Amino acid sequence: MTEELLRAEHISKRFGGVVALDDVSLTIRAGEICCLVGENGSGKSTMIKIISGVYTPDEGDIYINGHHYKRLTPIEAIHEGIQVIYQDFSLFPNLTVAENIAINELLASGKQIVDWKEVEQIAREGLAKINASLPLDAVVETLPAADRQLIAIIKALLANARIIIMDEPTTALTQREIQSLFNVIRELKQRGLAILFVSHKLNEVMEIADRTVIFRNGKKVLDQEAAGLDIPTMAYYMTGRRIDTSAVTFEKIDETAPPLLRVEGLTLEGGFYDVSFELKAHEVLGITGLLGSGRTELALSLFGVMPADAGRIFIEGKEISIRSITDAVSHGIGYVPEDRIREGLFLDQPISDNVTVTLIERFLRRLGLLDLRTKSAEAERWIRELEIKTPSGELPTKTLSGGNQQRVVLAKWIARSPKVLILNGPTVGVDVGSKAEIHELIRQLARQGMGILLISDDIPELMQTCHRILLMRAGRIAREFRREEITEQVLNAELVAAATAHSS
Amino acid sequence: MTQGTNEKSTAPVHRKPLAGAFRRVRVSSETIQLLVLAVILFVFFSIIVEKFLTVRSITSMGFQMPELGVLTLAMMISIYTGGINLSVNATSNLAAVLAGFFMVKFIPKDAAGAVVTLYLAVAFLIAIAVGWLCGMVNGLLIGYVGVPPILATLATMTLFTGISTGLTGGATVTGFPTQLSVIGAQTILGIPIPFLIFVGFTILTYILLDRTSFGFKARLLGSNPVAAEFSGIDNRAILMGAYMYSGILSAVTGLLIMGRTMSAAYEYGTTTYVLLTILICVLANVNPGMGRVIDVFIAVVILQILSTGFQMALSGVRGSTFFKDFAWGILLILVFVANYFIRGRRAQSS
Amino acid sequence: MLKKIIRTQEFIVFLILVALSLVVGIINPAFFSISTLFDTLRASIVYFIMSFGVLPLMIAGGVDISFVAIAAMTSYTTHMFLLKLGYEGGTLLYFLIAGAMGLLAGLLMGFLVTRFNLPVFNVSLALYTMWYGFNLFFIGATANFDLPKGTVGYYARFLITAQDPYVGQTGLHVSIIYAVVIGLFVWWMLKYTIIGRGLFAIGGNKEVAIRSGFNVNFIWMVAFALMGVLSAIAGVTQGFLSRYFNPVLFITQPLDVLAAIILGGASITGGRGTVIGTTLGVLLIQIINRALILTGIPVQWQKLVVGIILVVFTSIPAIRAQRARRFRRTTEAA
Repeated sequence: MTEELLRAEHISKRFGGVVALDDVSLTIRAGEICCLVGENGSGKSTMIKIISGVYTPDEGDIYINGHHYKRLTPIEAIHEGIQVIYQDFSLFPNLTVAENIAINELLASGKQIVDWKEVEQIAREGLAKINASLPLDAVVETLPAADRQLIAIIKALLANARIIIMDEPTTALTQREIQSLFNVIRELKQRGLAILFVSHKLNEVMEIADRTVIFRNGKKVLDQEAAGLDIPTMAYYMTGRRIDTSAVTFEKIDETAPPLLRVEGLTLEGGFYDVSFELKAHEVLGITGLLGSGRTELALSLFGVMPADAGRIFIEGKEISIRSITDAVSHGIGYVPEDRIREGLFLDQPISDNVTVTLIERFLRRLGLLDLRTKSAEAERWIRELEIKTPSGELPTKTLSGGNQQRVVLAKWIARSPKVLILNGPTVGVDVGSKAEIHELIRQLARQGMGILLISDDIPELMQTCHRILLMRAGRIAREFRREEITEQVLNAELVAAATAHSS
Repeated sequence: MTQGTNEKSTAPVHRKPLAGAFRRVRVSSETIQLLVLAVILFVFFSIIVEKFLTVRSITSMGFQMPELGVLTLAMMISIYTGGINLSVNATSNLAAVLAGFFMVKFIPKDAAGAVVTLYLAVAFLIAIAVGWLCGMVNGLLIGYVGVPPILATLATMTLFTGISTGLTGGATVTGFPTQLSVIGAQTILGIPIPFLIFVGFTILTYILLDRTSFGFKARLLGSNPVAAEFSGIDNRAILMGAYMYSGILSAVTGLLIMGRTMSAAYEYGTTTYVLLTILICVLANVNPGMGRVIDVFIAVVILQILSTGFQMALSGVRGSTFFKDFAWGILLILVFVANYFIRGRRAQSS
Repeated sequence: MLKKIIRTQEFIVFLILVALSLVVGIINPAFFSISTLFDTLRASIVYFIMSFGVLPLMIAGGVDISFVAIAAMTSYTTHMFLLKLGYEGGTLLYFLIAGAMGLLAGLLMGFLVTRFNLPVFNVSLALYTMWYGFNLFFIGATANFDLPKGTVGYYARFLITAQDPYVGQTGLHVSIIYAVVIGLFVWWMLKYTIIGRGLFAIGGNKEVAIRSGFNVNFIWMVAFALMGVLSAIAGVTQGFLSRYFNPVLFITQPLDVLAAIILGGASITGGRGTVIGTTLGVLLIQIINRALILTGIPVQWQKLVVGIILVVFTSIPAIRAQRARRFRRTTEAA
């Protein structure tokens, strides 16, 4: 039996009236890569924060290296060798690689004068620990995400980490970089460290995990050796539902009808090449592919954020030109972004304003003045229709939960009745309940006649909502699948195949 | 930059049903705080200065306030959209100078009253046009070229002042028809006309920001420019409009100053005036995407009360006109600290 | 290594400086004279000192305009106070007293910012108004030309003298030493002390700075204290260089100093900035002013030329940034 580094027993945590964790026990062993899997809202973030001392559990005990903790503090956790690498990597963008690596040690030493030779030495030691080579005097913000992640890992190692917790580490990485990261992780495992790899991407879990732990709704529902688990099983445990796509009703598409959206030979240098496809009314077309496949660029191009260099776009048969967002919107295209906080919401503004922003021209009366009453009423209507849970539409949007915030973004576009709605990762960061509802919403919109482009890497999501799925690789459309012809397994396999084909 | 520590009204504090054209007006807690402060100061000075609470003194305040007031509105709209306009004063002076040139060169010496009024109207239009053009330059630099507002308006501040200096050779333009003083020194029913103009533009700005789609978009742009763009808002056009309006308000200020001093020069106000308008906006909790016109109005009133109050209280004391600056600085710090405690520690972040 | 230097903003400013000097020199060869060099440096000294005090704050992400008010308040108050006492000594006491006042003023500001978590800019606006008001009301409203006996002649104390073909005897003022020493100190502090690196860290990512263990409040206090002291030194130096003490010294200048620092490569949002860059920025502005006089452009149009130059200077980096932004995400597309 490998050495047990951390044991959390019967952990429970509540926030207000909401139960985040319910009697959860977890063991982390040396030399083991443990994947903690769960949807957003499953409790995995809370668990990490409890293990690292940021939160105190309401009930339960934590044993680390034999020491018993009832109320673990962050400093104690660090002393016990627990290091968490968050998604922002906790780096100074304006400082060099060397300085970022060495800074914690410098501060700990208490010295007031900086010895740059020492800094360089610490940095070199750090790089050597994972056999990485990075330019020591490069300013961190000029480096790609993968390199910054390496720096974060090195910092953790230099702090004598025994357990490294990585929170959704592959979010910003290309496929090649993900493979590099996995190699580093396996290296660390060889040296006896424990890695807690938090993710919701099942294909990655398949590849890297020794042990798989699944949370759902605050409870641990699975904890076993990774071998022998397959993706459908994991998905079942994650969502509590068997993905039964046959139970879902799909609108029949009139194949003879002219396409709502037709794209011909669309090209954007450095993004995607010679992309052609059709989208019919009532249809949900999924576009998937790994990071770097060009799927995001395609979506942004159709919305006018990155106008294409070549190619033609037709809406309802008429050729149009999309050189700006206002062009796209005026032609009836809407876009629900991936990064809703930065690109989709006005957090300090009232919910009703967030919802009506795309419609504002409709409320103009004489003299160009707004009819505030009608505007309020319209906002109220959409808040109700999309079941956005809030005591008042005038509250700032930041008071809403993630799932509700996403509904606001959806509402604002749906209210405009676009012909084509582009959804980019619409359920990222959304809790399980809202996710299913959003999927039904998507199907409903399609039924009503909208054409929907769904950009996603969430296989179950694609299977549950799309009529057809396009797989992109290296900027081109590699495969096209009809929903009837394919299963989740196959789709996953295709994705993994694309990955390995790429990294080889 | 100017950091606020609050959200827009999180909940209605008072509902005051007003008859007539107004709907139910919700008054926010910040506005109430400012009103209370204004009232306290007013009462304070009425007590310690015997002549403060007189028609004469209040009327005098009504004459002095509008220049700074309208200029502050010009500043407000640029902060509201997420920027800042350091060139407001320079625009104001340039507009006055050009309007002044027009009047001096073109108004016939012995023209009849009505004709003079016509010329005056044209002069006003010229000033407004200049303000509008200056605003366009700012709008181009900030919206289209993408220069950060603080740098762009610093540059245009120098540019506009440079034009004024060049054209006037440093001299003051004088020789305006007496009718001009209507907007600077006359009253209607005892109310100073410049004050009415100030109130008028306050209302206009309120309507613009609260009741038009432009104002709506400007607010959202200030709140999150990226999301605004992604929501189909034409950021560049809105910024252009905001700075143009800012320029027009600056031009109006120039006319008001001209009406009071019966002269125009490149240098009225200077940097300190600009900083004062920023200060008032800070007191009025104006931030990108947030801020109420009524709060700005009250903040201007507060400054005027302080200014006149201290001046009268200390009249006879050497340098009395300067005490208000000292007091103003301290008052602001007290307000900041008070806000810190009122809001508890949660709302702070930098 | 050389390539990296070339790409920096500082180097671009340096090139502009050189180019500008050449152009002006061609138009009017009198520009290439010792007196130009010495006079430009003399005019720049106080701006160097002040901007070296403001730079650390800006690196940490704080925009301050009260430094000019501190310069005015400390220098004028010290002068009027010593005048009242009938002081006849030299300049040293001025620097000590004003410096102490500047230190306290800086600490006061630091206290307000750290204790109540207030934005630096807002507090600086309030203090700017307050200190000038204080000066004008409590101390005096007029410039004062009565200098103590012990300081007479200071304004003409030169480090090096030279003969200039156009102007005759000319010299480089001793106070340049203050600027050099202070510049070196600030450079050293920024590069070789934890406090200095802490300023960059705070400006880069404040949360991470706190988490990493920097004593953020202490670092701010040091930066504010330094700004206060240096502003005081600048104020006193200006008083002696110009031979009078002015209650509204520098009142219209804070934005110009900030512009010089930003032109020199500092970021207004923090995290970036160098002493060299700041020095070049200040020099650039000074040379532009001087160049205008020497090129024979009429006084009344000089400001306009400066305005046009500023518009162009600020537009160029913005246009470059736009071109770069056109290309965001990279893919692995073949």
